[in-house]
Amino acid sequence: MPRAILGAMVGGSLAISGAAFQGLFRNPLVSSGILGVTSGAGFGAALAIILFHATAPIYISAFFFGGLAVLLSFLIGRIYHTTPIIMLVLGGTIVSSVFSALISFTKYVADPTNELPSIVFWLMGSLASARYQDILVAGIPMLIGTLGLITIRWRINVLSMGDKEAQTLGIDTRVNKCIVIVCATLATAGAVCVSGIIGWVGLVIPHIGRMLVGNDNRLLIPTSFSLGACFLILVDNLSRIITGSEIPLGILTALVGGPFFVYLLKRTKGGGW
Amino acid sequence: MPLLEVKHIFFGYDQRDVLQDISFQVNQGEIFFLLGPNGCGKTTLLDCVLGLLRLKGGEIYLNGTNINGIKPSIIARQVAYVPQSHEKTFPYSVTDIVLMGRAAYIGIAGSPSGEDLDIVDEALATVGILHLRNRRYTQLSGGEGQLVMIARALAQKTSLIVMDEPTAHLDYRHELVIMETIVELVRETGLSILMATHFPNHAFYFENNDIATRVTLMNDSRFMTAGSATEILTEANLKSIYNVNAQVFTHHLDTHHQIRQVVAISTSKLNRNPGYPIDTMGRG
Repeated sequence: MPRAILGAMVGGSLAISGAAFQGLFRNPLVSSGILGVTSGAGFGAALAIILFHATAPIYISAFFFGGLAVLLSFLIGRIYHTTPIIMLVLGGTIVSSVFSALISFTKYVADPTNELPSIVFWLMGSLASARYQDILVAGIPMLIGTLGLITIRWRINVLSMGDKEAQTLGIDTRVNKCIVIVCATLATAGAVCVSGIIGWVGLVIPHIGRMLVGNDNRLLIPTSFSLGACFLILVDNLSRIITGSEIPLGILTALVGGPFFVYLLKRTKGGGW
Repeated sequence: MPLLEVKHIFFGYDQRDVLQDISFQVNQGEIFFLLGPNGCGKTTLLDCVLGLLRLKGGEIYLNGTNINGIKPSIIARQVAYVPQSHEKTFPYSVTDIVLMGRAAYIGIAGSPSGEDLDIVDEALATVGILHLRNRRYTQLSGGEGQLVMIARALAQKTSLIVMDEPTAHLDYRHELVIMETIVELVRETGLSILMATHFPNHAFYFENNDIATRVTLMNDSRFMTAGSATEILTEANLKSIYNVNAQVFTHHLDTHHQIRQVVAISTSKLNRNPGYPIDTMGRG
């Protein structure tokens, strides 16, 4: 049971942040990890695995480094005093690759008999260790972030017109961008620190949402949350049923989601792109 | 009191001055044209009026209020913007796009209400595209898309609309459709328009339609003059600003109506020297 609840929250948080970032960055190819939160969290977890060998420090370290990565991306993006979208994306790409290199480094120095497998499994994503106390701890940032994004969801429509037009429409783009980024980061970092890196959900679930309800974020944001939640529960059950030992989630999400996405693409003719 | 009053403004990026000591006014029910060569600072000036840039000096008053440091939502209730070309991203419906014109009136956590939807329908009807309301705006033609942008500006319920070359990239007919729409708007609602354009004939078009029209020519970060299209868009002025030989023609449609147009004849070849002494090169 805790596993199902956690699965729903993680799936929903990843999908809703992905949808929000796609709107904010005006780019359908962006996912919840665009500002480096996943690679940052991955490095945080790997570091904690090497140093502490315990669960609690992994959560804290993953969450901390996930947030730090986004902050760094944001600071790089602010070089020109404003934060144009293209600079944010560039900042995110730089920070992501630096943390990916750091992850490789921790793998390189890890003890190959026990630490290295833990790191590798963590990076592939799993809900196997879920307990009720995890829901309490990681649930708070996920809940805050998710509720924040649901509250501001119509503003994401306006932000997707681009900085200049959004500002002339009467929106303080700086403040609104910050709110979206903080909320999406809280939700994603909360999700990643308990579940490891689960790809695909934050990129493709929002698109499945677009095919079903259209592009208006008033509908798309809540729809993405519920689709992400259902999808991850489904995949998590599959991962336990298919073989005797569990298949890591990061592998299955892509294996299950890929064909389903292609099927939907054919059914709905792509939603107007 | 003028609707928009720009007083001695200065603006520049780093070391480069873009606007130097520019002053002008736009009155109620008037269309004000900015003309000038590429890179003379037209768009920058419009951005200043929209409150997007921080001035280096001078003041801009909208309805008597200095816009310096005012919240975007307050500015957006006074002045709306129609972009030159809107970069389409997600396939929103036309209604969704025009609804965004209501953002200045809706709180950060709010969503548009039924009343906002009524305003959207009214704006779409005003520009004559109510039948497109449920279409995806990514599938519209360029001209229809620009009408959507004008409807969005109307939904902001402002007394001034700033337009940056609103007919760029449009075909022969749609350029005229946009101009006719703007003429009707100014005539029927008493809106004021501040428009940057590359075509002197746009200004003549409004003057031919008996709309209060003023024109200014911009060059090298400064304003040359402001006045009616007939006063300003003379053959001599066009020659000095654009280096173009042009002729202004007046044609009588009937006893009551006459139209005035300017036709470009040739570029001034004599003035096409590169700005440095040619005989220092390739000598020998």
